[in-house]
Amino acid sequence: MLEVADVSKRFGTLEVLRGVSLSVAPGEVVVVIGPSGSGKTTLLRCINLLEDYERGTVTVDGDPIGYRLDRRAGQRVRMSEREIAAARENVGMVFQSFNLFPHMNALQNVMAAPVRVKGIPRARAEARARELLTMVGLSDKVAEYPVRLSGGQQQRVAIARALAMDPKIMLFDEVTSALDPELVGEVLAAMQQLARAGMTMVVVTHEMSFARDIADRIVFMDDGLVVEQGKPDQLLFSPATDRVRAFLKRYNDRYRI
Amino acid sequence: MPFDLHFIARLIPALIEGAEVTVELAILTFAICLVWGLIVALANSTRGPLSWFAGAYVQIVRNTPLLIQMYIVYFGFSMAGFGLSGFASGLLALCIQNGGYVAEIYRGGLQAVSTRQYEAGRALGMRRWTLYTVVIIPQVVARIVPPMTNQAISITKDTSQVAAIAVMDMMKVAQVWVESSANTYDVFLGVAIIYLVLTSVASVAGKLFERRLAFAQ
Repeated sequence: MLEVADVSKRFGTLEVLRGVSLSVAPGEVVVVIGPSGSGKTTLLRCINLLEDYERGTVTVDGDPIGYRLDRRAGQRVRMSEREIAAARENVGMVFQSFNLFPHMNALQNVMAAPVRVKGIPRARAEARARELLTMVGLSDKVAEYPVRLSGGQQQRVAIARALAMDPKIMLFDEVTSALDPELVGEVLAAMQQLARAGMTMVVVTHEMSFARDIADRIVFMDDGLVVEQGKPDQLLFSPATDRVRAFLKRYNDRYRI
Repeated sequence: MPFDLHFIARLIPALIEGAEVTVELAILTFAICLVWGLIVALANSTRGPLSWFAGAYVQIVRNTPLLIQMYIVYFGFSMAGFGLSGFASGLLALCIQNGGYVAEIYRGGLQAVSTRQYEAGRALGMRRWTLYTVVIIPQVVARIVPPMTNQAISITKDTSQVAAIAVMDMMKVAQVWVESSANTYDVFLGVAIIYLVLTSVASVAGKLFERRLAFAQ
């Protein structure tokens, strides 16, 4: 479903990703953990080309997104804006800071892209948007503007907004990090429900117990590399590398999962 | 002799005739500046020599007096051999200066929209045109209505300076009446009241527009 092949990215002299490869099967939920600055968020942002990267390629269902390989020249070529935009329709993304459109109410936020990007008729897009908002538990908030919603509610609208494009895969970038602790649960529950429904997901998070519950596989990144990956129980309770052991020890000392 | 009712009865129609020129100048200036200012702001947001010219333009026109700009246009063009009428010179000078102010208002409005809004739109598959028309411009418009209203009021009052290049606007009419009657008080009080009415119309229109777009409260 998703193939990240040897992606490298630098900000100036800082190498943020140093040849990261990752493949995600259809319906699989992959959780990416690791210390701050390990490149988790940058990896997600490279997948739908919110960041350019110097080396490597990403494909979704075999279709390149961002760069395609020119076989004759043996070189990577950046796709046109039109092609990149079309490829992004297959990839839903939810951000740490919600990023709802402040001049639209919840329903309009969810409907905007299906209507204006995909050209879906308004009535059909609205019916679908209401369905999605109901699914995330916000059927009574369709007419509210983002400023009138709590962080947890805003983030659930953002999830519905991404789902409205019928993406093949969903990316979640530390989506609960900006929330008050008592609002985290409602967002995680919506994601849990989505995972159970069979959505392919890549989730960057600091919520370890959530990672354990939702993940089919956990990927541990450090210093721009995938250090270790495996089943949740294996990686969290009997990690193979010292680096993961040290990270988990520090985490456990602080939070006790 | 102030508050001379017979005098005021003859004065008012004359001032209103002058006010028509004032209104015409103000509306034309504001309309042209809305377009010209956007062009300057977009030029300013590019990278390269275009933005350097746009930036220099804004600095020069904002930091020199309107009256002098008006003289330069009016007398400069006639010295160069193709004289413009007083009205055209006045309009041009008003647009040159206020275009700089309006460009800065646009620039502030564009900068106030977070890059995260652009990313959210792109992540949903929006291309440039859709991103700007659906996501960015509505937010910019909502933010710039109050400073644009301010600018419209300022332009209305600025038009009075065309009196210096012999355009028969309300101010010039007033000056003629003062010179012939020596009734300074009635004439200028009348002028002030008419300006107040005109600028109040602009304020109220701005407020109504603002309320329609007030999503962020």
